[in-house]
Amino acid sequence: MPELRTEEFIVNMGPHHPSTHGVCRLVLTMDGEKIIKIEPVIGYLHRAIEKICENRTYQQCIPILDRFEYVTAMSCNYVFSLAAERLGQVEVPQRAEYLRVIMLELNRIASHLIFYGVTAMDIGAYTPFLYGLRERELIMDLFEMTCGQRLTYNYIRIGGVSRDIPPEFVPKCREALKIISERMSDYEGLLNENPIWLVRTKGIAILPAELAVAYGVSGPVLRASGVQYDLRRNDPYSIYERFDFDIPVRYHGDCYDRYLLRLDEIRQSMRIVSQALDSLPEGEIKNKKVKANFKPPAGEVYARIENTRGELGVYLISDGSAKPLRVKTRGGSYNQLQVLPHYGTNMLIADLVANFATLDIIMPEVDR
Amino acid sequence: MNDHLLAVLELHGLFQWLYDKLLTVGLPESWTTVVAYGSLSVIVFGVLALVALYLIWWERKIAGHIQQRFGPMRHGWHGWYQTIMDAIKLLQKEDIRIATRDRVVFFWAPVICFVAAFLAYVVMPFGDRLIVADLNIGILYILAVTTFTVISLIMAGWGSNNKYALLGGMRSAAQMVSYEVPMVASVLTVIVFVGSLSMVDIVKSQSGLIFNWYIFRVPFGPIAFLTYIVAATAEVNRTPFDIPEAEQELVAGYNVEYSGMKFAMFFLAEFVNMFTVAAIAVTLFFGGWNGWQLVPSWIWFLGKTMLVILLLMLFRWTYPRLRVDQLMEFSWKFLVPVTFANLILAGVFKQLHWYW
Amino acid sequence: MTKQELAAYVTEKFGDKLRPLESGRYDPLFEVQAGDLVDVAQALKEDENLRFDFLCNLGGVDTKERFEIVYNVASITKNLRLDFKVILPYEQAEVDSVQKVWPGANWYERELWELYGIHVRNHGNLTRFLLPDEWDQGYPMRKNWDAPDFVRLPEID
Repeated sequence: MPELRTEEFIVNMGPHHPSTHGVCRLVLTMDGEKIIKIEPVIGYLHRAIEKICENRTYQQCIPILDRFEYVTAMSCNYVFSLAAERLGQVEVPQRAEYLRVIMLELNRIASHLIFYGVTAMDIGAYTPFLYGLRERELIMDLFEMTCGQRLTYNYIRIGGVSRDIPPEFVPKCREALKIISERMSDYEGLLNENPIWLVRTKGIAILPAELAVAYGVSGPVLRASGVQYDLRRNDPYSIYERFDFDIPVRYHGDCYDRYLLRLDEIRQSMRIVSQALDSLPEGEIKNKKVKANFKPPAGEVYARIENTRGELGVYLISDGSAKPLRVKTRGGSYNQLQVLPHYGTNMLIADLVANFATLDIIMPEVDR
Repeated sequence: MNDHLLAVLELHGLFQWLYDKLLTVGLPESWTTVVAYGSLSVIVFGVLALVALYLIWWERKIAGHIQQRFGPMRHGWHGWYQTIMDAIKLLQKEDIRIATRDRVVFFWAPVICFVAAFLAYVVMPFGDRLIVADLNIGILYILAVTTFTVISLIMAGWGSNNKYALLGGMRSAAQMVSYEVPMVASVLTVIVFVGSLSMVDIVKSQSGLIFNWYIFRVPFGPIAFLTYIVAATAEVNRTPFDIPEAEQELVAGYNVEYSGMKFAMFFLAEFVNMFTVAAIAVTLFFGGWNGWQLVPSWIWFLGKTMLVILLLMLFRWTYPRLRVDQLMEFSWKFLVPVTFANLILAGVFKQLHWYW
Repeated sequence: MTKQELAAYVTEKFGDKLRPLESGRYDPLFEVQAGDLVDVAQALKEDENLRFDFLCNLGGVDTKERFEIVYNVASITKNLRLDFKVILPYEQAEVDSVQKVWPGANWYERELWELYGIHVRNHGNLTRFLLPDEWDQGYPMRKNWDAPDFVRLPEID
């Protein structure tokens, strides 16, 4: 009997595919259901944010950068403001710093809740998606109450924040935290011990720590591989030194650890927010010296913060004029997607979906 | 009079009355048979189409309430005619036929799927004396015709000339063939007790109290039911075994290139299949139409079937999806041994009358 | 190691190869000659007190007179941060790939080639990825590049 002839075939996963979270295209070379080779094709969402920023004033850059990583737009506001403040040696009032931390951490919780829902959805459990979004809604309401926006906030400005929180913010925020912490047990009850969830995520798509570091993977994905590296501790910015929180680390580097780690992070973020709410000082919310035509002296600086998807950075160069000479942005997803072909092969397409989901890649951050 | 009313409520009296009327018209005998069976199949088809539409609504409501939302609310009370409007919408949608399709295969796949889904109802006992034809190989016939679905899914996957559809078709073939084995073995466990393949005989052997139902014939009934319901879930491609149309992996699997009414045929067939496996479960394990006498038997049958379907729906909206190889492992390494051991022990114990 | 200590250590260790620049505002900033780039990068990664194993960011800059390529590196084990840049002429800009040291530089260098037209030697995969495949309108991140349908408004100050 002659040997059966088999051949590899190429599947285009994306750009419009339910589980690529945006418009990512993965060219998969497959042997049956097994993936031999992954080739990410990006650029479908390229909006030339860096080029646009070069033609805007510093203040005008912030709303543009909202669109850089719209799931945690607060972080994008913040990282640009941080870079500009470092360039211009701008003092930030204490109340503004606390408000920033509250907003950043609330945004982190919201983003991780989306992660929870979307990952469960990608692995085939439809219900957690709605649960995750339901609690995110509480946080969105808080943001809407503060700055009128639910997705692209334009809230954190150079030298402070755009407006003060309304008086009902603090009680509402405490209530939201209480509800979320109660419902965390629901989330864990739905998935953590679920045998199907375990076989789908445990030991799947292990990202070794060396590979992760070599490819610049950061954030929760890196910490799930056993590297304790969190910029809130390792390169402190804002007032994170004042709060008592842990950096969760997990050591297997598989999909399950990446998922658990994010749930841990929600808890830590809630700790930070409640501490910040307790010690929220009164006072100014914006440095009045920062004018609309903010012109930092010539110089260059790289600001980086810990975002939900890893290190979010801006390299900002000023030549002393009203417009930045260069705004180079760096998002965690870019590196996470880059490392995917190097460890994501030799598994089934269903594992790729789980892997892609737990990397928590969003495409606007990759394509910019 | 009371007996007559009861017979009408039981519907078989109604059909008998209609048949008597038909006889008085004076058609030749062969024509009478043709007209009788023709109208009967139209009735069964119509009822099932309505049931399928209702199931879609029911599924959406259940999904909604599990997910802390309402589901359809706009069309009528709690959106009761939402799916009818959906069906009308699908009917008037453009039928997109991709240029690179395999014409014949692409066209016939939904038809076969649709027809195969309805064929099982020839021998389905909806109630006391409510059966189109009481074949003496009833359950065997059902298991045979529902297997056509596999062919239609492979045809859909092949005819679409789309890699996702092809993968979906291949997956469905592998999955449905593997789960056919434990499903048949679970069914056989009951057959061992009944000693007949006729659906009516199976139901009649469970007549009487609730403890005559096979699910309560410990120790074999419950195990057989559990293995059957798991295999049946896989057989109708529902989560956690919905890999042929895994939305997040294969977009929509075998039906990715279908649109309009052809898609609706797959969709309706899926729900009819779900009703089929639930109805078989009721017939085999829950005593079919047997129940408290004052309520018509077909209501008992439908009610029990709905409860089994509710179980399937709860599975779907709470569990994640298995991976294709884990699915196969689960079937061949766990379900098949368990069902066969159960079957053999059931036979032995039946001979020794060691059951309750 | 504080930032000052780091700057002093690097200056002492590398001498001429890493020349400190004044324009860095937060982290130490150095200049590297294009020819020394890969050696310096390798040394930075392998030095026992530095261990710069993590490439945060890599980006081109067009200052209208020359190209600069900025490398932002970090050390996870030693918790350090350092920036260095390579200055290239406007014409025939070419730089070596640092993928051997930090494999993650791959896409950043592709971007450099695609958006700035800086050729990266030994890269191995210089293909378009952010811009459309059929792109033929030059290098959009260059300062002198205007989109064909772009009207430049008068400068405001």
